[in-house]
Amino acid sequence: MPPNKSVRNGLQAHTTVREDVDVIVIGAGLAGLMAAVHAVNAGARVRLIAQGWGQQMVTPGWLSVCDRAEDDVIAEVRGYAALHPEHPYGRAGDDAMVAGLESFRSAAEAVGLPYAQRKKDGHNMRLITLLGGVQRAMIAPRGIAAGDLTDHHGPLLLVGFAGWRDFYAEMTAANLRRQGIDARALAVELPDQDRWWDLWPGDLARHFDAAPFREMIARQVAPHVAGVARVGFPAVLGMAEHPHVLDDLARQIGRPVFEIPTLPASTAGVRLTDRLRRWLLRQGARVQIGHPVVRGVVEGRRCTGVEVASLGHPTLFRADQFILATGGVYNGGIQTDESGRVWEPLFDLPVVTPEVESRADWYHDTLLIERGHPIHRQTGLRVSTDLLPLDAAGEPVLDNVYVAGQLLAGFNPLTDGCAEGIALATAYKAVHTALELDA
Amino acid sequence: METTSVDVLVIGGGATGAAALYDLARRGVKALLVEQNDLTTGTSGRYHGLLHSGGRYVISDFDTAVECITENTILRRIAPFAIEDTGGMFVATSQDPEDFPARWAAACAKAGIAAEKLTPDQARAIEPALTHDIAAAYRVPDASCDSFDLNHGFITAARTLGSDAWIYQRVTGFLRDGDAVVGAELVDTRTGEQRRVHAACVLNATGPWAGVVAGLLGLDVMIRLDRGSMVAMNIRWVNTIINRLRPPSDGDILVPVGTVCVLGTTSIRTEDPADKHVEVWEVSKILQEADPVVPGVRQGRALRAWAGVRPLYEPPAELAQLETGHDVSRRFAVIDHTERDGLRGFVTVVGGKLTTCRMMAEQAVDVVCQQLGVSARCTTADEPLPVPESSPRHYHQLSHRVDRQEHGALPGALICECEVVTQPQLEAHIASYGDQPVALDDLRRDLRLGMGPCQAGFCGYRAAAILQAAHQSTPEEATRALGDFVNERFRGVRSLLYGHQLRQFTLDELIYRRTLGLDALLDLDQPQAEEVRDAAE
Repeated sequence: MPPNKSVRNGLQAHTTVREDVDVIVIGAGLAGLMAAVHAVNAGARVRLIAQGWGQQMVTPGWLSVCDRAEDDVIAEVRGYAALHPEHPYGRAGDDAMVAGLESFRSAAEAVGLPYAQRKKDGHNMRLITLLGGVQRAMIAPRGIAAGDLTDHHGPLLLVGFAGWRDFYAEMTAANLRRQGIDARALAVELPDQDRWWDLWPGDLARHFDAAPFREMIARQVAPHVAGVARVGFPAVLGMAEHPHVLDDLARQIGRPVFEIPTLPASTAGVRLTDRLRRWLLRQGARVQIGHPVVRGVVEGRRCTGVEVASLGHPTLFRADQFILATGGVYNGGIQTDESGRVWEPLFDLPVVTPEVESRADWYHDTLLIERGHPIHRQTGLRVSTDLLPLDAAGEPVLDNVYVAGQLLAGFNPLTDGCAEGIALATAYKAVHTALELDA
Repeated sequence: METTSVDVLVIGGGATGAAALYDLARRGVKALLVEQNDLTTGTSGRYHGLLHSGGRYVISDFDTAVECITENTILRRIAPFAIEDTGGMFVATSQDPEDFPARWAAACAKAGIAAEKLTPDQARAIEPALTHDIAAAYRVPDASCDSFDLNHGFITAARTLGSDAWIYQRVTGFLRDGDAVVGAELVDTRTGEQRRVHAACVLNATGPWAGVVAGLLGLDVMIRLDRGSMVAMNIRWVNTIINRLRPPSDGDILVPVGTVCVLGTTSIRTEDPADKHVEVWEVSKILQEADPVVPGVRQGRALRAWAGVRPLYEPPAELAQLETGHDVSRRFAVIDHTERDGLRGFVTVVGGKLTTCRMMAEQAVDVVCQQLGVSARCTTADEPLPVPESSPRHYHQLSHRVDRQEHGALPGALICECEVVTQPQLEAHIASYGDQPVALDDLRRDLRLGMGPCQAGFCGYRAAAILQAAHQSTPEEATRALGDFVNERFRGVRSLLYGHQLRQFTLDELIYRRTLGLDALLDLDQPQAEEVRDAAE
């Protein structure tokens, strides 16, 4: 199948043209959502168009900025970016990175979903994974951050639900114990278990929104907290009422509570996405999910609009500036096929591809090797320091399409521990460059 | 050392060994089957699912074609529970040799294979996904066969008649009495426990391992090992088996099996009886060859790829002249080593097709019985196999499982959504192993855990935790079990990681690394690099 070439000469027949906005953001991952937030905050008219919600719906929920940093995370990123100007952090620059993180925290706070980080030393937190591993991350939703192991050594009680398939507290606790972390498990009962055979984390989280359900759980946990410093649950502590659920459970149990991210879908991601979406709508931004952009319309080096699949005929949406945040291999921003072709489907932009002979070498022979695989490490778009897409000769291909997030080349989002940091830094940078704002 | 005595020891838990065990049991001969892995894990299990009408061999290998149609008819009668009567079609495009279809049809007539000529419109009315470029089309009595079900049917029936089958027992040597083989020594590949089995006769039905097993006795059985790869697409692109109507070559068949469609095959010479490698170029080749017959299939979503090793038997002199295994006869041979090597009590059966497994067993058991002085004739074609009630056969039929799940017959948490496997099923299967070690990959074979589109991304963690709880294993063991399973699944899909399946597996890798932290936990078990260096110095 040929790639969807961007249309360079006019429009397809039967295309409806919709009114102009200042900025169209393509993609609804962390980068796309935050790009829309930045543009709205700058007073721009914004339309966000995406095929579906982005990767925050499946990631654990904490924000990896530079997981490998042993001490000050920002300092580590600054040092790395200075030495690696081609890396997305190098492209975005230090100021955008710091401002991107800070403005994300403000935005999250503004929608009632505070995120926490270690203000006093700027280090990564040490957070608990589903299997009982210890994962470093700089920023996390308050409920997950409350499980930070750094300064706390008291015994942990991990609460699971008997017969629930997505959290096995005993296995998590056992893996923590072998790393010297004092943890034990407790299984509590859910009522009417027969009904729960296909219960997703989000389903359970919605039950926690209801006070009687919380009380039923708290009553079972409270007798077991003697000598326990904190109580961990899978990340199902409420959906719409999440902040209140956290506080209310802690009050009822008499101990601080924290969350451990579960298998997808990510409740942390659902909570964040839902609230940012509603905030954008309230600010007058348009948010269109489900009808994907199928191609960019380009005249010379300017994009004049994007065609969106809709019932019956494509619809053209025009804007002055475009933020391309369609994601990488997982999200569909990069497409691949059996012949080994790798392409960017909306503008057919030049793509960096794995430096290997054929598709046979996209992966190494063992899955969980340290730096991951070429198809993830060496795929994406090269961009200028303004985040404009570049051709092989290093010349910008388009003058008003700015690239943000996982579509960028130069890192492996699965292994490098910086995926969310890059999304936030480049979304900030892209919007501020596009709208010529002071950083 | 534990010692057992039987009349006949059958080595090999594939289709031929299982059919032989059943055949012996029906003739009143007490037999024991031993298999080095689980049942149906060799060539029989790594198979495309095509119960041949014989049409595929009718030009290149007429005798095999006749055997296929004979056995096709018999297996439909005796093992209907393992067979879906999809029917088959042979289709030539304008790219294929023009004179071939007429020659082929004439040969089918001679072999007794009912090949009904179809117009292109008739062919497309049956299979709308077929190309518009149809030069010739015929309908044949192919069918889709589940080799796990068939094997299970033979074994269950043999057990009912007093025979037995032991798994994870590898033959390490033979017991000799002068010029006679009188048994074998076994080792349990899981526990290391050794056993001795005394038998009046040993049947070597080990497929690609036949040369290795015969080699333990110093016998020279020439097997040509030929690896063939297959790709399962995520939907049934066709409901009829489609064969390319041309001389056999790579990528000739599409086989609807259960919910998927298997495309195959390739033919690559190998020296390793356990070769399971699938090269990326093989996948490309298979898809490229299938696409002209069923346009668009190349862009479809490929779920799994696997390879099986065909044990081809041919007198040595002819082997060297032939380039690929497609040309080598698919006939089988029963070797009576009394005549050939002066060694009594040892019979080898090798070559053949899954379709002809019953006939292979019959002829091999005839020789065995001759040595034993048993005169009972073969009756395996005479009456249907009992339907194995307690069999895991339903686990191979997704629609059946979904139906049961939706009507409350499969209670408990749904652990593997893709293949509909519940927590109570997992726990029951873990318990059925008793105190034997059980790997997640064993549960995959038993229940199809992790075999669907997501390839264990979600159920791997859940199953590892359930296994840990059942066995009270340490977190190190449980984490390692998950790591092994994840890597095993990765190897299975590695050649298919493009397009949709690449996106799916990127999600899986995200879960393993970021959500579970599996990579870091596995690293805890690894000695630190410095320690390794220190130890080396």
